[in-house]
Amino acid sequence: MPRSVNRGLFYLAALAAWQALHLWGPWPSFLVPGPVQVAEALIAGFADGTFLIGIAVTMRRLLLGYALSLVLGTVLGLLIGRVRWMDDTIGSLLLGLQTLPSICWLPLAIIWFGLNERAIQFVVVMGAVLAIAIHTSDGVKNIPPIYVRAGRNLGARGPRLLTGIILPAALPAVLTGAKLGWSFAWRSLMAAELLFVSLGLGQLLMVGRELNDIAQVIAVMVVIIALGLLVDNLVFGRIERRMRRVWGLGAALPGRARGRRAA
Amino acid sequence: MAGISPNGAPKLSVRAVEKTFVNRQGVVSALGPLDFEIREGEFVCVVGPSGCGKTTLLNIVAGLEAPDVGDVIFDGKPVLGPGPDRIVLFQDLGLFPWMTVRRNIEFGLRLAGLGRVERRKRAAHYLRMVHLAGFHTSYIHELSGGMKQRVALARALAMDPVMLLMDEPFAALDAQTRDMLHAELQEIWSGTGKTILFVTHNVREAACLADRVVTMTRRPGRIKREFVVDIPRPRQIEDRDVGGLAARLREDLREEIEAVLLEERRRAKER
Repeated sequence: MPRSVNRGLFYLAALAAWQALHLWGPWPSFLVPGPVQVAEALIAGFADGTFLIGIAVTMRRLLLGYALSLVLGTVLGLLIGRVRWMDDTIGSLLLGLQTLPSICWLPLAIIWFGLNERAIQFVVVMGAVLAIAIHTSDGVKNIPPIYVRAGRNLGARGPRLLTGIILPAALPAVLTGAKLGWSFAWRSLMAAELLFVSLGLGQLLMVGRELNDIAQVIAVMVVIIALGLLVDNLVFGRIERRMRRVWGLGAALPGRARGRRAA
Repeated sequence: MAGISPNGAPKLSVRAVEKTFVNRQGVVSALGPLDFEIREGEFVCVVGPSGCGKTTLLNIVAGLEAPDVGDVIFDGKPVLGPGPDRIVLFQDLGLFPWMTVRRNIEFGLRLAGLGRVERRKRAAHYLRMVHLAGFHTSYIHELSGGMKQRVALARALAMDPVMLLMDEPFAALDAQTRDMLHAELQEIWSGTGKTILFVTHNVREAACLADRVVTMTRRPGRIKREFVVDIPRPRQIEDRDVGGLAARLREDLREEIEAVLLEERRRAKER
C-alpha cells in the first residue's frame, strides 16, 4: 500500500508542477499547455475518432511487422545459435547491421517499395528482427549442455530437439529479445510515421505540430506512452511472471535453483 | 573372461575403445584401450579416481559420444547414437525446468509415439514407484534434491530401457537420502530386471549395489580389476561385508588416487 500511495502522491505533485509551469512559467502559456488542455485534447481526439483511427492504423502496422520479426528473428537466432558456419557468416552480419539505427533503412525502403505500407513494414522489421535474432542466438548458445544431452538421450533429434528443448531452454533470453524487439519496432514505426505521412499516431503528432496545437501533440504522446505501458504489462509482464514462476526464478528463491546445479 | 554369462552372449560389449581429447596441453588420451562386457540383468558398478574417464565411458555406451577407436556392441548391434534402449541418469539430472514433473516424464514417451492415455498411465505408474505420486503438476524447482533425483529416475524408467546408465546419480545427495535411494534402486532393479551400468567414485556405494565391480586406472582410464560381489541382498551400506569389500576396492584404487593427487600437486606447483 505505501508504495502505491507514494506513487500517487508523486504523480499528483507532478501534475501540480506542470499546471504551475503552464500558469506561471517564463514561456507564453500557449507553448506549454496545462494538464487540463491536454485532457481536453485527449477527449476531443477520442470523441471525433481521429485517435482511434490513428491507434488502429499504428497497431496494425506494428503487429504485422512485429509478428513477422518474431518468426524471422527466432528462426534466424536458432540457426545462428546452433550452426557454426551460420554464426560465422550471418551472425556477424547481424551484429554489424545492428549498429545501424533502423530508421536509416527508410530511404532505401521508399526507393524499393514506394511510399506505401510495405516500406513502413520493412523499417519496422529491420528494427525488431536483429535484436530478436541476436538475443535468441545468445540464449541458444548459453543453454546448459545437459539439457541437449538429456533431450537427445530421450530420443529428441533435429526439429524436435530445436522446438522441444533448445527453444524453451533459451526462453529467458528469447523473451528479453522479444521485449527489446518490441520496443525497437515501436520506435522505428514512430520515426517512420513522423517522416512519411500516411495516417497513424506519428502523423497525428505532425498534424498537431503543423496546426501549432501543442495540446494535441502532448495528448498523442500520452496515448503512445499508454499503449507502450499497456503492452508491457499485459503481454510481456504476464509472460515474464509466468516464466519466473515456472522456472523458479522469482526474487524469493534465486538461490535454490542455482545452488543445486553447482553441487 | 568375466562378464560373459554361461548361458548366452553379453548384453553389452565394449571392445578396444579409446577416446582422446584436445585441450590446452594438446592431445590428451582420456580413455582406454578398454574392454569389458555386461550380461543381461547384471548390475555393474565402475569405480575409479576422478578424471579417469568414467563419465566418458558412460556417454560412449549411451551413444552421446563416439569413441575414436574401437566399438560398442549392444544387443548384437553396434552403437551409433543414443537410443531409447539405453537411458542415462545424468549426474546433474538434466530435468527440464520449464516442464512439470509429469511432462518431464512424458517427454521421451511422446517422442516414442505413445498416445496420451498410455503416457499418463506410465507417468503415474513410475511416479508411484519412486514414491512421488501427487507431485505430477509440480515444477522442478519446487522439489528437494532427493525428489528431483527420483523424478529423473522415474523419467529414465518410464522409457522402459533395456539398460540404465547411471552417472554418479547420488553424488550430490545427503547420506540419509542416498541410503533411501540405494534401497529403492535395489528394489526397482530386482523388480524390473534391468541391466545397469552404474558409475561412481564411492567404493561403498559400489559394494552395496553391484553384482560386479570394475575398477579403473587413472587417465587414460583402463580396466584395472574386476570384483564379483556375492554378498546376499538386500544390502545396507553399513553391512560388514559391504564395508569389507569397500576396503578392498579402496586398497585396489589407492595407488591410482595417490598418483592423481601427486599429478595435481605437480601441476599446481608449475602454475
